[in-house]
Amino acid sequence: MTGQARPIAGGQAGTALLRTIGLTKVFRGDGVSVRAVRGVDLSVSKGEFVAVMGPSGSGKSTLLHMIGGLEPATSGEIWLDGQRVDGLSQARWAVLRRHHIGFVFQVFNLVSNMTVADNVELSALLGGATRRQARARREELLGELGLAGKANAAPARLSGGEQQRVALARALANHPGLLIADEPTGNLDGSNTADVLRLLGRVHEQGQSVLLVTHDARAASMADRVLNLFDGMVADDAPVRAPARSSMAASGVLRLRG
Amino acid sequence: MRAPLRWIRADLRARKGQALAVILVIAGVVTALLLSATLLEGATNPWRSLFAQTRGAQIWMRLAPRTDARAVARISGVTAVAGPYATTAATLVQGPLRSQVELRAMQPAMPAVGRLLIRRGSWLRRSAPGGVVLEASFAQAVHAALGARVVLEGLDGSSVRVRVIGIADTSDQGFYPDQTPGLVWALRGVLHQVEPIGGHTDEVVGLRLANPAATGLAVQQLVTRQGSGEVLSVSTWTEVEQSMARGDPLLGLLLALFGLGALGTAVLAIASATGGRVLVQLQDLATLKTLGFTPAQVMAMVLAEHAALGLAGCSAGLLAARELTIPLLRGLPAGVLPAVTPPPAGWLVLIACGTELAVVLATAVPGWRAGRVQPMIAVKRLPPSGHLSRLARAALLSRFPPAVVLGARAAFVRRLPAALTVGGLAVSMAMIMIGLGFAATVDDVQRHPADIGLAAALTAGPGELNAARARKIIAADPQVAAVYPSVKVNALLPGETTTITTLGMGAPGRPYPFHVAQGRLYHAPGEAVASEGLLEVLHLRIGEFVRMPIEGVPVIFHIVGRIIEPEYDGQVLAYSLDTLSQAGVATPPVFYSLVLRPGVGAGPARSRLLAVSGNRLDVAQAADPADQIGIVRVMISCLIVVLSLIGLTSLFTASAVGLRDQLRDVAVLRAMGLTPLQVMTSLVTSTSLLALIAAAGGAVAGLALSSRLINLGAQAYGVGGGIGRAPSAEAITVAVAAAVVAAALAAILPARRAALLPVAAMLGP
Repeated sequence: MTGQARPIAGGQAGTALLRTIGLTKVFRGDGVSVRAVRGVDLSVSKGEFVAVMGPSGSGKSTLLHMIGGLEPATSGEIWLDGQRVDGLSQARWAVLRRHHIGFVFQVFNLVSNMTVADNVELSALLGGATRRQARARREELLGELGLAGKANAAPARLSGGEQQRVALARALANHPGLLIADEPTGNLDGSNTADVLRLLGRVHEQGQSVLLVTHDARAASMADRVLNLFDGMVADDAPVRAPARSSMAASGVLRLRG
Repeated sequence: MRAPLRWIRADLRARKGQALAVILVIAGVVTALLLSATLLEGATNPWRSLFAQTRGAQIWMRLAPRTDARAVARISGVTAVAGPYATTAATLVQGPLRSQVELRAMQPAMPAVGRLLIRRGSWLRRSAPGGVVLEASFAQAVHAALGARVVLEGLDGSSVRVRVIGIADTSDQGFYPDQTPGLVWALRGVLHQVEPIGGHTDEVVGLRLANPAATGLAVQQLVTRQGSGEVLSVSTWTEVEQSMARGDPLLGLLLALFGLGALGTAVLAIASATGGRVLVQLQDLATLKTLGFTPAQVMAMVLAEHAALGLAGCSAGLLAARELTIPLLRGLPAGVLPAVTPPPAGWLVLIACGTELAVVLATAVPGWRAGRVQPMIAVKRLPPSGHLSRLARAALLSRFPPAVVLGARAAFVRRLPAALTVGGLAVSMAMIMIGLGFAATVDDVQRHPADIGLAAALTAGPGELNAARARKIIAADPQVAAVYPSVKVNALLPGETTTITTLGMGAPGRPYPFHVAQGRLYHAPGEAVASEGLLEVLHLRIGEFVRMPIEGVPVIFHIVGRIIEPEYDGQVLAYSLDTLSQAGVATPPVFYSLVLRPGVGAGPARSRLLAVSGNRLDVAQAADPADQIGIVRVMISCLIVVLSLIGLTSLFTASAVGLRDQLRDVAVLRAMGLTPLQVMTSLVTSTSLLALIAAAGGAVAGLALSSRLINLGAQAYGVGGGIGRAPSAEAITVAVAAAVVAAALAAILPARRAALLPVAAMLGP
């Protein structure tokens, strides 16, 4: 499988921040292999907000994890900012994530033995900030997210919405070019969901690319483009604000792979 | 660097108790190792350094008067000769105190070989013709201060008043009172006044050899050439070294053994604690990976965190050893430890670095595992095995409290951590049992000194009285339970290089109550018992015969038993007094071994005898085994504290890992209707059960080992096997119960927290 000949879903290859080509994941266990993701071709431009939807088990999260280097791909290619990254070692992936990719998960995944401030500053420090810079960045982010008063609280003492905002602050600490959000509102109530979505919108406005997995149509509606996954394959890829938004015969769908 | 440091700080803050326990454990181990190094150094070094500083002679010989001492220097291998010095037996009288001394005449010029190290005052000088110099340990034992005026009495009654002008160390003989008589140096004039006729004057010669290893050969050559009639006795540097080291290397080795054992146990405990910690933190570690921590960074973090704890522990240990060792060892009664020399810097560095390295190695595997945690780990919150065992089902059906059954079952769900916990705890408990065994043995020695052959608390010589009168006074004393007439004669074995001590003790049919470990006591003339050390040296077995020259007369002894003998380096032959007269040996001066009535102190009894006899009896206290006992007990207590801390660390881990595994179950059970109290019971049960199994197993193993180890040690030391005692049943019960209670307490707080958490929070997403 080569990258050059393959047309990329959506966007233009030249400005693509992220491209995947034939990305596949097969889980093997107990003598059975499960093809979770089957040859997904995807492209996200700089500053683009892409929502990935699909029923449970359609491979959304696995796709995101592979893109973020959290799980190795079985086959296929991942290109990030013009650099092929799918063959990187764990350590190289870690350095890449540190600087370029922010993660937000459904289960907030805050480091349990660190305070809110430490959780955010840890990320900044990891990105190479000095202690003073990390502190300033943390104050700025928590202030923006309405958590200034919670800096010294333990994560367990926060509500779900607050925890997710902390997770978001942490993901944004190093100004990553790409924010990957895996059902960030899945555990939140209505008002908290609205808050988090507003924040994601703001990240998008600031020019960062966002890749959002969601079940929530309202969340998806904020995206520039919605990718529908079904059974590990891209079933539909359509710009949200385009007139043919509801059409299933989407122009962006190029290829189904079985 | 900054991010890992931030995480380490947060992690240490989150588990202060465990971190502190790890630091204390390491500090305890380092302290124990340093104490043992100090004791070993103090035990072996006094001789070595003294010998070097005094340019000591490897062989000291006592020659009959008018022997051609110069001839001995012509033996090959002898590089220098000290002496010959005229020497005579005398009595040093200071107030009511009379001590046997060996008075040696020397010149004001310090000799080149066999010098003396002046500790206080000065060496002999012509300007002070009435001045004498005392050997330091003797001066300390008889409380003779610099400037004290004392009287020296010769064997035929002439006496001379002299002044102590110096106190000096020598490598000629071991410390007083292990080595008697005390040494006194004086100018020749003083010796002439004490012993005007010269009939009792011998010559003492020291030989320095080119090759110290050839000492035995040289002695044999000398004895053969000079004839045993001219060579009265020989002592070699190995005997002096051994005698200076007496008792102490055993203590040091014991402590070193414990220290190394504690280090091993600590490594196990730290490895299991870190492993448990990594298991508990899998989710957090995965999160760190998603944030961009590299595997190497995560591993380095775990290693660095524990290396820091290790460093803190080592520093605390070094400090504690410095602040503890010196006061503790300085507080010992005189003579127990001759010189407390802090171990050289090399030892400190070795112990500190070794311990630190052990800590880092202990965390290497858990650290490596932490580094390999996948960023998107599907953390299995459920324990690996889900079904109830038949036993558990039966217990539930027979209406056993379900909380207890569930807790008991949960203890074994994760087998490897359970095995590690049990193993670590069991090793700690086994070592504690060995420690308690030592304590029990030592207690027994103190309470029943007769069990190790120290039946007589006092020895009395006739002094200025005649033998019959002395005997009468002693026998009349109400505090004395039994009196055994005794003689002590040195024997120089023809084929051997060392002088051994033989004791004629007790009359026929009434032998001295030695503690017989094997065989039986002597009943008839010609029968003898020997201590393990002697049997080994002579390659003898019970039932065999040995021929030994006593005072020049060959006597044949039938060895009928082995006795426990802590004195005389464990090289003793004992027989009834009439053996000598039957063999035609002129009986040397008799002294009396006094067994006191139970409850009578040796000190008061001695004072009373002195008072009754008007200070004319010569009464001495036997070496008090209790001297070393205080320190042994303190050290054993310290080690038990360290081992308990190690055990506690394992327990904290067990409780934390257990809780993590059970959290989800707990939530489900609570949703099903278990009360918080039942939940707590279940969690506490699982940790306590592991502790109980470990403690019981460890106790059994420890008990099996304890007596055996003590006997091995005693055998190696020459005292002879058979003195080991098991700890009392109460002590064992208390130790095991304490382990279980500690386990319950370690589990109770986290259990309470888990029992009171909202169910929904525990079930989680």
